[in-house]
Amino acid sequence: MKKTITILLCFLFAAGVLSGCGSTVTNDTVTYKIGVVTPTLSTSEDEFRTAAMMAEKYPDIVKHITLPENFSTEIETAISQITSLADDPQMKAIIVISGQSGLLPALQKVEETKPDIITMTAPIWDDPVLMSKYVDVNLDTDMIGRGETIARKAHEMGAQTIIHYSFPTHLAKEMISQRKNMMEKTANQLGMQWVEVVTPDPQTGDGTGPMLQFLREDIPRQIAKYGKDTNIFGTNCPMYDVIIDEALKEKFMVAEQCCPTPTQAYPTVMGLEISEEDAWNWDKLNQMISEKAAAAGMTGRLGGWPMPATVFVPQYAIELAKQMIEDPGFDFQSLDSLNQFAKDTLGYPVTFSKLKPTEDGPALENYNVVIMDSILY
Amino acid sequence: MEVYRIKPPQVIILIFLCVLVGLAYMLHLDLVDLFNESLIKLMMNGVLVLALIPMINAGAGINFGLPVGIIGGLLGLCITVNFRLTGFAGFFTSLLLSVVFCCMLGWLYGMLLNKVKGREEIAGTFIGLSMIPLMNCFWTLVPFQNRQMLYPIGGQGLRPKISLEPYFNNILDNMALAKIGAVEIPLGFIAFFSLICLLLALFHRTKVGRATIATGENEEFSRLSGIDIAKIRLIAIILSTVLAGIGICVYSQSYGFIQLYDEPLAMYFPAISAILIGGSTGRRAFIFEAVLGTYLLQTIYLLSVPIANEILVPEITEILRSLITYSIILYALLHRSGRRLSH
Repeated sequence: MKKTITILLCFLFAAGVLSGCGSTVTNDTVTYKIGVVTPTLSTSEDEFRTAAMMAEKYPDIVKHITLPENFSTEIETAISQITSLADDPQMKAIIVISGQSGLLPALQKVEETKPDIITMTAPIWDDPVLMSKYVDVNLDTDMIGRGETIARKAHEMGAQTIIHYSFPTHLAKEMISQRKNMMEKTANQLGMQWVEVVTPDPQTGDGTGPMLQFLREDIPRQIAKYGKDTNIFGTNCPMYDVIIDEALKEKFMVAEQCCPTPTQAYPTVMGLEISEEDAWNWDKLNQMISEKAAAAGMTGRLGGWPMPATVFVPQYAIELAKQMIEDPGFDFQSLDSLNQFAKDTLGYPVTFSKLKPTEDGPALENYNVVIMDSILY
Repeated sequence: MEVYRIKPPQVIILIFLCVLVGLAYMLHLDLVDLFNESLIKLMMNGVLVLALIPMINAGAGINFGLPVGIIGGLLGLCITVNFRLTGFAGFFTSLLLSVVFCCMLGWLYGMLLNKVKGREEIAGTFIGLSMIPLMNCFWTLVPFQNRQMLYPIGGQGLRPKISLEPYFNNILDNMALAKIGAVEIPLGFIAFFSLICLLLALFHRTKVGRATIATGENEEFSRLSGIDIAKIRLIAIILSTVLAGIGICVYSQSYGFIQLYDEPLAMYFPAISAILIGGSTGRRAFIFEAVLGTYLLQTIYLLSVPIANEILVPEITEILRSLITYSIILYALLHRSGRRLSH
């Protein structure tokens, strides 16, 4: 690690010196920058590491900054951080990756002052219609579609009941409440029992502690009531440390997490030891989880996406922004070219579709949502 | 010790609790189960509340800098897990290490608080707040080797939550667990908790302990009697910090995860509310008040969410939780300044 940084620094220094000598070649190849905004490492590892990795891959292009740790109380700082990125004359694209709401005003401001900068979200969760209006390209996982696929998957796994844990500030979000409605509808169609539980709110009270403590107490109660053939879904990522931990004890099912990824909750709860070389090796990680699941007698009862959605979407967004800048003719509105681009750059077959903010309303042209085939451990 | 007098907050809380229990009974919630959990919750949070007592009694105010001690405890826990110590050996090593770290941190913290005499509460709050970003850097950079603790992708820095499952999860909860029908009484945990209460009570009976109380009651008088005020306050603050460190170890073993980064900040408001609900006014605190307050507050937390979910008004619990936590602190502050004026 230290060596790479040293080499990188030497290289940067050398590049600086060389460009100072009047070598215009380097200046010609890289004349633009992409600003990437993510939460901090402790808030959201995947997004942070992905951006850091991409900054290492394209050191002259990607400029990575982080949002304040205490996002909800320091939203003004977050907004000024984003808008200040636009002050760099070389800045050609700004990508905001946060999975929280309240950052749209920043992108709106960028769009007003520097309309030539490509703005992209991967994702933020403000009102989709407004996002479509003010942001050039919106990327996200297909939340509403997943409402259906998760319920179907749980049904295939043999679940009789679906329990949906959420809290008021999440349920007030359009996407989350629509996904919930879709999940409920599908569950009812498939003849599964639907249970909704509201937890203490981590965004208004004393953080995630009371919410997780409540889950610890409530999950065994619910499983005693509804039996082991129950699928539990929670809308907030930190919930999964407790949900998966309880799943290993109480033997209920978790078809998919809210942000499907092998890196969240599974390594913590299962105590996985991942060596540095295996850091980006998803197959190895999935295999380790499968082994631990089998040891707990949970084969076929836990699931997720083969690679983290929270790595895929940010990585894809950065590659897409690069492509859009380098090849202005690239048709970023066409679903086929988006699907093809995913296969070409990241090697994963995915399905993009356009988001429909309301069930019978028109689709939003620049709001692309993605679904990846999920796996069972 | 003056006779314990029940005050308005306790009356309100007790009535509220009775209503909740009544509702739980009417809604056919499993009361025995809830009772079992309430016992665990009392002891799990209890030590953190006890940690407030020495400082209050020494006249150094309510310990709003509780995160300082919690951080010491977390350090102890992390080092134990790094060396993969399991079972009682692991748990007691973590306690021992926590005590060592907390003594050092408490000493620094005490020196600082002695410099800002009279404004300990606000200073404590900010010392706690400023420790957090500092420790965030520490947690991401510290070179621990146990890969179960490290981030999955980067391979550097501690995860926000570290599972204690392979080490000493629920070790106190399950120690000498007595089952009478469906009622589960964690005798071992109760004994451990009682021991801490007893030691704290004994401390207050020693010469230093009595000097602490005297300092809290009338500093000028104590100084004239030849008590080294700064030293006594320092001892009380160190003791408070050490108890906070032990408190987080007890909390974590029960909860199942070590919680790093911003989590210590979520711990001190509920603890402070608990001791105030118990009847302390932030001038003098008794162990009984800490235990009663913790039980009342935690049981309300425990009961309110399932009940609210049953009667389909889940949003109300959040409002009630914040209302109780903060208004009790406000009440105590008002009550205290009222008393000071009347003196």
